[in-house]
Amino acid sequence: MGDHSRLIFRLGGVGFLLKLVDVVEVVTQITDALDPGRSVIGQGIVSALRFRQTWIPAVDPALRLDILSAVELQDKVAVILRGSEGNWALLVDRVEELSSIDKFQPCEIPFLLKVAAMGFYSQIHLLDDEPMIVFEPERYYGSAAVLV
Amino acid sequence: MNRYGLFQLGELKFAISLVQMQKILQDSKGYPLPRLPGAVSAVLVDNGLLIPILDLGQILGAGEPQMLAAQGYQVLVESEYGTVALPADLTGRIVAAGKGVLSETTEKEKYLGIVGKFVYQGDQFNILDIDFLAIEMTQGFWQNQSDTGGARRHQ
Repeated sequence: MGDHSRLIFRLGGVGFLLKLVDVVEVVTQITDALDPGRSVIGQGIVSALRFRQTWIPAVDPALRLDILSAVELQDKVAVILRGSEGNWALLVDRVEELSSIDKFQPCEIPFLLKVAAMGFYSQIHLLDDEPMIVFEPERYYGSAAVLV
Repeated sequence: MNRYGLFQLGELKFAISLVQMQKILQDSKGYPLPRLPGAVSAVLVDNGLLIPILDLGQILGAGEPQMLAAQGYQVLVESEYGTVALPADLTGRIVAAGKGVLSETTEKEKYLGIVGKFVYQGDQFNILDIDFLAIEMTQGFWQNQSDTGGARRHQ
């Protein structure tokens, strides 16, 4: 475990990996813990989520990444992350597994796609020859996040 | 001797200078990535490298956008800016330029990356300018042209 472990999740048909040390908890049942009325769409916050007796922002990165997801808000999985401004929830379609970083092979983003990826992701790893995006939480929530 | 690799996608027939063709894959899986340019349908992985798959159906505004199904062939072509993959239904013929007839293309087609026609055994193949297409179809210029048919599907 620790810094060598990665959490694999999916949005639409796209695979992502996330450092496990950033994860507080994975919550699979969020239907009764959502308050979509407390959204700030301009910041990617689609709802508030009750977590451990407090409300935290729930961010859907599919909006910013322009990913079409068939999973409704209440059916999403919340990956609770610790950020510089406290906990926040990353909403994903499903969480797949934990994997050691050793199983991933770094892969360069082709020159022809670098402009398109700029601002959204900067690293891709291969897992069994499938490209997985290295999810960078700071791009999606917090004072450092830059919205497009 | 100049030679062309000939391939077909739906009703469209294409010719590529053989010196630019790297290899032909069969049923290689395409993977979606977020924020791909509108004229890039997916990426494939070859020897640990990501290769953008150009949506050739957008040329001449013909055909549906290419999906991710691992069916058919992918022609890997070296451009000045890196390797790109072109989807194909039929492929494999390599023909010396002298075996066919070269003809001019229209001004409109030049804007679509077609630099000429190669007529071989009664069929007309569009000779592609891969350097032009690679940069135009991946940097967003393609979608900004006013008359690119289906190229505007993401707008």
